[in-house]
Amino acid sequence: MSDSKLQLGSQDNTDLLSRVRTLLARRTEGRALALLAVVIIVTLFIEPTTFTSYEVTLGRIAQIGLVALGLTAVILMGELDLAVASTLAVSGVIMASVENMTGSLTLGILAALVTGLVIGVVNAFFVVQVGINSFIATLGMLFFLRGLGFVLSGEQPVRLDNVDAGLAFGDPLIGPLTPRMLIFLVLFIGLQVFVTRIRVGREFYAVGGNRQAAYDAGIPVKARVYLGFMISGSVAALAGVMNTLERTAADPTAGSTVLLSSFAAAIIGGILLTGGRGSVFGTLLGAASLGILQVALTLSGIQVDVQNIIIGVVLLLAVTTDPATIRAVVTNVRSMMAGRADARAQPG
Amino acid sequence: MSDDLATETAAETPSPDAPAVPGLEERDTSAVQWMAERGIFVFTALLILAATIFVDGFASLANITDVFNRAAPIGIVAVGMTFVVISANYLDLSVVAQVATAAVVLMAVSNSSGILLAVLLATLIAIVYGFVNGVAVGVFKANAVIVTLATTFIGIGVLRWLSGGSIYFGTEDSLIRAFGTAKLGPFPLSMLVLVLIGLALSYVLTRTTFGFVIRAFGSNPDATRLAGINTAWVVIGAFMLSAFGAMLGGFVLAAFSNTAVSAMSDGFDFRALAAIIVGGTSVFGGKGSVLRTLLGVIFVSVLTNIMVLSGLGFGIQQMAIGALIVAAVSLDALARKAATT
Repeated sequence: MSDSKLQLGSQDNTDLLSRVRTLLARRTEGRALALLAVVIIVTLFIEPTTFTSYEVTLGRIAQIGLVALGLTAVILMGELDLAVASTLAVSGVIMASVENMTGSLTLGILAALVTGLVIGVVNAFFVVQVGINSFIATLGMLFFLRGLGFVLSGEQPVRLDNVDAGLAFGDPLIGPLTPRMLIFLVLFIGLQVFVTRIRVGREFYAVGGNRQAAYDAGIPVKARVYLGFMISGSVAALAGVMNTLERTAADPTAGSTVLLSSFAAAIIGGILLTGGRGSVFGTLLGAASLGILQVALTLSGIQVDVQNIIIGVVLLLAVTTDPATIRAVVTNVRSMMAGRADARAQPG
Repeated sequence: MSDDLATETAAETPSPDAPAVPGLEERDTSAVQWMAERGIFVFTALLILAATIFVDGFASLANITDVFNRAAPIGIVAVGMTFVVISANYLDLSVVAQVATAAVVLMAVSNSSGILLAVLLATLIAIVYGFVNGVAVGVFKANAVIVTLATTFIGIGVLRWLSGGSIYFGTEDSLIRAFGTAKLGPFPLSMLVLVLIGLALSYVLTRTTFGFVIRAFGSNPDATRLAGINTAWVVIGAFMLSAFGAMLGGFVLAAFSNTAVSAMSDGFDFRALAAIIVGGTSVFGGKGSVLRTLLGVIFVSVLTNIMVLSGLGFGIQQMAIGALIVAAVSLDALARKAATT
């Protein structure tokens, strides 16, 4: 938060301990770090192969984290993009269809990314221009686009003609890092720099923290919201492209579990759904804990249904144990108790 | 720390164009407002009229019975969920898991240990759903969409894990089967159940203190809390009603098809939401009606039926319902803008 940074300047004279304390209080990644530590320690004892076969684990983290990164940009502004799951599926289908028609993989990928951008613009249009809450607008889009994916694909997976490119995409490029991991890394660094170092990105926090104040301060709020949805849309499309390349086919039903894991990653990362607070680094930590957890569960032979239960519980806990809400709950419960005590004290 | 809290409370208060507009009816209404307020009556009438004239096989007794049979479970889910929408908590996504769980429990347990135990167990599960969703949203102030997304995955996961995804068949001579096939003229008995539940819940919403408080909470949560009302219980109550609607919807669905499987309620969440919103209940909270939801259910069911009769695939149906949700909410939002300016 930008105002917290201002505070730091005035605290230069205080001792190291209180500066560390201030730093800790400002950070939002505490829970993500704690969960990651627990997951790593438990996994080390129960399923250490998760770390020896680190290519698989890193790949899974990149998979979960990518859509979550895009979401982070939107949630920072207090908006939500539920349509990412269908955006992923539709853009994959469009990529494969265009590639089949034109024979050019590049054109297919371009078409998919443009689709993601357009979806982002449409989402933002309903949120900004029409004034619908983004939860409902993108929920409607989620169903609409899922249907569109079925229609475009004929409710069948669309095969990619260029299988070689798909297979090559799975090979390590630099050291053990596959193109997927590299793209994720680049995007992570890019987004981290964008929201912490670049003015436009930093304004996302302002828009999420207090939209009216941001507007009064001269920030083009509408343009920022458009940009946020375009980021989440195109990042989801990029995820669709990569999934399609890896499986050499586009699956129109893809993405239902993406919704769960990507939201879980962002929320575990400490982002506040009402906006203004959170970090890209937190999302990375959230994705890392979920990725390690999923791979460990899979390697231990735990079936997908149970994995979904566990991730669902983690998401439920993450969304209810935000430090700020916990404080509010404690205050509420205290005042409720006090109210009851008052009522008892009154005669009759 | 203090500025941190200040930012949050600022973010929690509804945006300037969000507050409900009391006395909307008394103002000079624009065309958009008229559409948002009364449009559903015209649209439903036009849709049915058009279907009768243009769609082959729509106006047959068998088809109308079929429409009612399919409308009843979704309708029962929707009237319960209406309370969640009115309380300004968007929707209850977990009805998908709840309907399937109730259906499977009814079939599986009544086959093995009798219908009474099945109903008892399903009721208990519904209470757990309503309580978990309600406490997470009402006490912990978590976002309803995310909470119910989590409980959907937990619920479906538990159901598929325990049932192994297998299909449960009912017996031919059971009470459930008798209910599922019973008819009053062209109306299946389930439709009567829907109307009765609708009337009962409409009474709750319009004539009881709980109904009044939930509407007040939906239009202004802070004022309701400051008025000394325990708002946590209001939200828990809304999710309880949604859970009971989903349970009864699951019973009716199982009785109609005399089978139950964990995937049988796919799409119930957004079909119910579409019915609620099309009916005129506002996603901005505070304003809505159970009887209007019944009308919305008719609209959505007839629309789906027309698409099925016209041979349109599942994909087009989903697109249509998705577009319907966005269109109806846009209309509501534009009407609000027209009212405030």
